[in-house]
Amino acid sequence: MNNTLLELKNISYKYKNNLILNKINLKINSGEKIALLGKSGSGKTTLISVLNGTIKPTQGEVKLFNKGFEELDRKQKSQITTIWQDLRLIEDLSAEQNVNCGLLAENNFYFAFKNLLNISSFKKAHKYMQLCRLHNSVYDKNIRKLSGGQKQRVAIARSLIQGSNILLADEPFNYLDPKLITTIKNLLLKNVDKNNTKKSPKTALVALHRLDLLKDFDKVIGIKDGKIFFTIKRTKLKKLHLDKIY
Amino acid sequence: MNKLKLNYTSLSFLPILVCIPLGYQLINNIHFGGFKLFQEFLISAFNPKIDNEIIITVINRLNETILIGFLSWLISIIFGAIFGIISSNIFYKIFNIPNFFYRIIRFFLTIIRSIHEVVWGILLMQIYGINFSMGIIAICIPYIAVNSKVFAEQLETIDYKRFESINQINAPKFSSLLTIVWNPIINTFKNFGLYRLECSIRSTVILGLFGIGGIGTSIFLSFQTLNFRELWTYLWSLAILIILSGFIFKKIKFNNTNKILSIFFITVFFITILFSFSYFLYFIFNNNFENFNSLSSLFKSSSELGLFDFLKLILETIILSLLSTGIAISLPPLVIGIFNSNTSKFFIKTFAFLLRLIPTPVILLILLTFNNPSLSLAALTLGLHNAGITSKLLFTNLEGQDRRNYIAMKSLGISKKTSWLLGLFSQQAKSYLAYCAYRSDIIIRETAIVGLIGSVGLGWRLQESLSSFAWQEVTIILIAYSSIAIVGELINGKIKNSLT
Repeated sequence: MNNTLLELKNISYKYKNNLILNKINLKINSGEKIALLGKSGSGKTTLISVLNGTIKPTQGEVKLFNKGFEELDRKQKSQITTIWQDLRLIEDLSAEQNVNCGLLAENNFYFAFKNLLNISSFKKAHKYMQLCRLHNSVYDKNIRKLSGGQKQRVAIARSLIQGSNILLADEPFNYLDPKLITTIKNLLLKNVDKNNTKKSPKTALVALHRLDLLKDFDKVIGIKDGKIFFTIKRTKLKKLHLDKIY
Repeated sequence: MNKLKLNYTSLSFLPILVCIPLGYQLINNIHFGGFKLFQEFLISAFNPKIDNEIIITVINRLNETILIGFLSWLISIIFGAIFGIISSNIFYKIFNIPNFFYRIIRFFLTIIRSIHEVVWGILLMQIYGINFSMGIIAICIPYIAVNSKVFAEQLETIDYKRFESINQINAPKFSSLLTIVWNPIINTFKNFGLYRLECSIRSTVILGLFGIGGIGTSIFLSFQTLNFRELWTYLWSLAILIILSGFIFKKIKFNNTNKILSIFFITVFFITILFSFSYFLYFIFNNNFENFNSLSSLFKSSSELGLFDFLKLILETIILSLLSTGIAISLPPLVIGIFNSNTSKFFIKTFAFLLRLIPTPVILLILLTFNNPSLSLAALTLGLHNAGITSKLLFTNLEGQDRRNYIAMKSLGISKKTSWLLGLFSQQAKSYLAYCAYRSDIIIRETAIVGLIGSVGLGWRLQESLSSFAWQEVTIILIAYSSIAIVGELINGKIKNSLT
């Protein structure tokens, strides 16, 4: 079970002379569900951006399936899906078109074209939107017209529809009410297949602020000022640990 | 004593100072020989010629104008969008192409658009003769480059994070590109495309004055024969066309989620590309390029243009641009501010419409009836025409402006003019100046047209060189024109960036 999917070796990242990540070493094994804790500005988002290959570290090595990002093919790269803190939805498109964007990797150019013309099939998109408890009245609505919580769920649906093995999520429970948080948490941490049945858990690294949501995670990583302060099993997490990072 | 501090409001009025040297030269150059003609021109506006014969001519000429204008618009907007994509940084980021190519394409497009469509038209007519398709090509060449700039600028406003999110899905590159650029391209087309159609029709009219056909040619011929009643029939019919097209465009609601409409536009898109390429191939294979014999002498013919004369012409062109820009910036707020009653507004709007409607060469020819040709007269012509355009923008912005400050100031007993200046105009001054910076780019290019007729600057010399097939001189002048326009664009770009 303990085969490493993602690995960071001695990663540092500098932006405008500020050290955002400082010599980070991290291994994410297949099937692990990891919570990433830390104050705002501690480097959580940057760490996620390094993990998904959006940011190139100033120093160190990132490995996915034991290969550097440059060596990976498109299919391997698409094994990582990200839910961004700022959602990064395409504002000019409707909710269903945005969710369908998650299918771009497994389809050809013609699909992208049909999606933009609104003539592609939205069946799969609707299924995932339904799972995210999005009402069918919002399916064809422009993203600009949706509430914060609805936008958040569209971003989650877009990420889930990709069917990737590794989920990186940056505060995915923002804007959601407590009931929805439970539903979405189950969705993210217990993968859903085409038939809406639960599959083996997917590997996940989720940046969080709320400690009451830690229950379903295996491991907790504490980050402060760009440095990892602890990596421990969730069951062994104590107040002492939290005091170090908050 | 306090230091003089300029703000955007005062900067909008300051350029009116150009009127001092301009007015001085204009007064000195006045002659009364053509006043009767000028009077006749004005009276004819209220008494245009209307009979069966002229109505048929108007319909035929308008058809030609619409056809040339529409085809050149369609081709230039489609290829403008394509070049816009490949000259935007988003394209290079997706395909990981070195920025070097991006700079080369941008520079190439800058050179192409720095030369006015009239210059392209005259050049093509000189080589291939007067031909309907030359009009379309002449408009398309700079328009593709202008449109590509607008599309590229819009694409560069795309949030980089949006690009990252799509890129991170690891979709095929073309799918990512299409998904990211599709809506910005459609929105730019919606906001800007229809305005370009109006520009395209105006350019067709101006090219018509130089013989390409359409209503422009009829306007020029009636002016040459001093048949002002006929001239006004053409001008009013052109006005009706512009008003009517503006009205129709306002009514058109382009919905990009409408499947049938989208498929129709995609079909038009591909047919236009196919047609353009077919025509290009036809043009290449059906032209024996004998006319290029004269071009082959390009490096043999020696230019008679001395360095001093050449520098003088460049200086004249720069001064002409500055003076015209000064008028175009300051005249509208000054006139609207002084005469801001509802009745005055109506007259200002009508006058501004006429200034936009009447092609600059015709305005210049009319002014020449009572003033000797000079740099000031050319500057006045170009300035007035562009003031007609900037005043339209100013009126539109002021009408959409929140009036609470204005009302509050008036309620304090402040005069209407001061309240207008500080309560309304001051809030628009910055964006107005930014638009004027963009407008001055166009003014630099337009100096070519007034130069051709008003015996001023490089434009006049260009016509002389073209008439005598002095290709080396033509090349030198075009390089000089391009350089002025590129430097102007760089300066205006910096000004615009600091204002937005």
